[in-house]
Amino acid sequence: MRFKMIGWIVLMVGLTIPFMAQARTTLVALPERDATVIRLDNPMATLIEEERQLTLQKGLNKIDFSWKGVNIDADSIRLRMIDHPRQVTLLNVSYPPNEAALVWEIASEDDFVETVRISYLLGNIDRLITYKAVADKAETSVDFRSFFVLRNFSGEDFDDAMVQLDDGQAFKQAIDHEETKRLLFLKAGNVPITKIWKWDSARLPWDPEKLNNQNIGIPVSYRIKNDKASGLGDHILWGGKARIFQSDGYGSTIFLGEDVSGLVPVGEKMELYVGDSRDIVVTQRKMKEKQINIRRTKHKSNPRIVLYDMDEEITAKIENFKDKPAVLTMIQHIPGEWKMVACNLDYKRKDANTLAFEIDLPARSDKGPAAIDLKMNYHRLNLRP
Amino acid sequence: MKCFKITFLVLVVGLLSQPGFAKVDLVTLPGRDTTQLTIYNSADLTLVRDGRALTLKEGRNKLQFSWANTLIDPTSLEMLPKKNADQIDIFDLTYPPRVKNLGVWNIKSGIRGKVPVEITYLTSGISWRAFYMGTLAPDEKTMRLKGYVRVTNNSGEDYENAQTRLIVGKVHLLDQIAQLARREHPYGRPGAVPIAGERQVVLKAKRVLMDKAEAMPSAVGKMPEKKEITKEGLSEYFLYTIEGTETIPTGWSKRLPSFDAAGVPVVNLYKFEQRRFGERPVRFLSFKNDKTHKLGETPVPGGMLKVFRIVDNKQHLSYEGQSSFKYIPVDEDVELNLGPVQNVVVEPKLMDYRTDNYTFDKKGQITGWDEIRTFRIKVKNTRDVAVKLEIKRNFNTNDWDLENSGEYGEFEKEDKDTVKYALQLLPRSDKVFDYSLTTYHGSRKDKH
Repeated sequence: MRFKMIGWIVLMVGLTIPFMAQARTTLVALPERDATVIRLDNPMATLIEEERQLTLQKGLNKIDFSWKGVNIDADSIRLRMIDHPRQVTLLNVSYPPNEAALVWEIASEDDFVETVRISYLLGNIDRLITYKAVADKAETSVDFRSFFVLRNFSGEDFDDAMVQLDDGQAFKQAIDHEETKRLLFLKAGNVPITKIWKWDSARLPWDPEKLNNQNIGIPVSYRIKNDKASGLGDHILWGGKARIFQSDGYGSTIFLGEDVSGLVPVGEKMELYVGDSRDIVVTQRKMKEKQINIRRTKHKSNPRIVLYDMDEEITAKIENFKDKPAVLTMIQHIPGEWKMVACNLDYKRKDANTLAFEIDLPARSDKGPAAIDLKMNYHRLNLRP
Repeated sequence: MKCFKITFLVLVVGLLSQPGFAKVDLVTLPGRDTTQLTIYNSADLTLVRDGRALTLKEGRNKLQFSWANTLIDPTSLEMLPKKNADQIDIFDLTYPPRVKNLGVWNIKSGIRGKVPVEITYLTSGISWRAFYMGTLAPDEKTMRLKGYVRVTNNSGEDYENAQTRLIVGKVHLLDQIAQLARREHPYGRPGAVPIAGERQVVLKAKRVLMDKAEAMPSAVGKMPEKKEITKEGLSEYFLYTIEGTETIPTGWSKRLPSFDAAGVPVVNLYKFEQRRFGERPVRFLSFKNDKTHKLGETPVPGGMLKVFRIVDNKQHLSYEGQSSFKYIPVDEDVELNLGPVQNVVVEPKLMDYRTDNYTFDKKGQITGWDEIRTFRIKVKNTRDVAVKLEIKRNFNTNDWDLENSGEYGEFEKEDKDTVKYALQLLPRSDKVFDYSLTTYHGSRKDKH
């Protein structure tokens, strides 16, 4: 079954004939679509551009464009003359009452078979982007693929339309109403990845022992850079769902996890949260929290504390039970004004209150898990009760 | 009962044909050659890999795949030629309009004849879990630990002679596979939501399927069979591959032994912490997932352990309790909580309370003082076996000093307001120790 929900009627009327509703019932030509472009570069709306050949007669021509059961934004409809833009002029657009239709009045200086291009925003047709990445066993690179999913629930069938996503090459595709198609869109092999383990003191529990029979999973992500060095970098990577697999070394794969990526411009990084590691264990404790440098009011009877510093000490034990080394990004937060008194590991200040430690964890050995200790003594300054 | 819900058709069309179904010719209906199931336990998720030999003709081929009454996520469907991949172009996967649970691959083949392909997809409804049985020796110094896995198939599809692999690990999922499987349209639809009534019928049909599966008597699912399970780490996961193949019809479960370790040294560890456990000590069975403890080959997946004890030389058993435990990496300590006990007793008593070192302002008002509390802790092991006891004391302030005396064992400051005592208790023995806690208040905090 084919849907043709969008109809065209071309009427030619003499210049002296007044505009009347019944005149639109006179069928003169029913032009077929010549070329259709489905533009999907704006994820919020889909623009359809179609070309048709109109047989115009010298004088005033009325073109009736109507639609039924499709969601066209009437204010978005545009008509352009391709062959004789100077001799063929669109005079006005009329909207008949209670109808999904419009009537163009076109003045033609001669008899022409004119190619016109009509464009409009069509609802319920869109696209999704999905990704599939298959990591090698060593987790150093991925076979990266992007799929384009065209969903047409617009009410209109498209035969051999040119589908355009962005400034890349358009491709020909037919798609019927209520049809969904998935096409391979981008393929890149051996795309380098960086694997990241991240423990954030504000998000994860500090003491695994206090959680009865629950593991604290440390989020693991893959980072992919959208650049030439990675075999990508020709286009932005649109946001979409990514499924990540890993080769098991025996010709099969396992599913690692899935995440949704935002739009990644050329030169930027895509970070995909895969799953949680339970083989790296962080146990953090606050060993000291003491008011120091206390300033009180001068009231002799009841001096109140008005200002103080807080002397705090954090210790953390990071254990790697994996048989491979790992680099853990540990995020610590110190609110307000502060100064570090002593810290046994290097860190970078990500912002005023966030510290990032890049901690190299050796693999587990015969002696047991590799363990690194963090000890951080800092003063939170000028606090008021 | 056999119920193959997944069907596979290869349709061949001439290069000049229109892409309508009426003009296609049925060429072959290939069955599964090989099947591999990779089943996850942290999510309702299984990766299925179907090997099939397709007979292709040169030119355009349409391959139709349908999956009615299964729980397959249609967005995960993928086909990969295993041979002649450079001569086989997969144009697209089309989910035709107004047909449910059906996908059509449009392929251009440069060769004619049999081509092995692999169809992969994610499905819901197959699960596995680990569980354990521990048998303590009469002296409770060692335990025989047996691990099992139980695989259950409620997917709506029978899997015959499938290589079965189990994944231990926490996978990140955005959508539940079961929800994706029940979608009206594979990728959803833009615009208006489908009519609720129609969707309801679909859900009801699936529910019947699940109910039927759950109603199967569990006894018929237990088909113990001695098989090796190879274990290997991949990324953050552990992959268990069961030797050979398994046939698991829908609605059935299968129990398989995972490991059997005899003579695992264990420690009876009792913990007492009023803030966390209340007034009774809690019994833990402690061991380590390492070679010294006859384990340590792989991480141990989380699951329920039922602990028994041999009570006499006729190998009669008593049931000691059960504990669920978390995933245990290699070399990590395991502590199994078997619940509160009465046969190990801890009695903390406040023996003395006094205040001291008052400070005053110029108007004679109190500005600071110390509080000194002396506690006596009596511990008693009424059991016939030696036990280890861990006592934690929590203080409500960060400004304190402590003095210990008596048989307090090993002492450690745990954090800013918690201390820990570790004691070894012989069978039927008791110990006593004291500690004197000085806490500082008001301006006395400054002096401390």
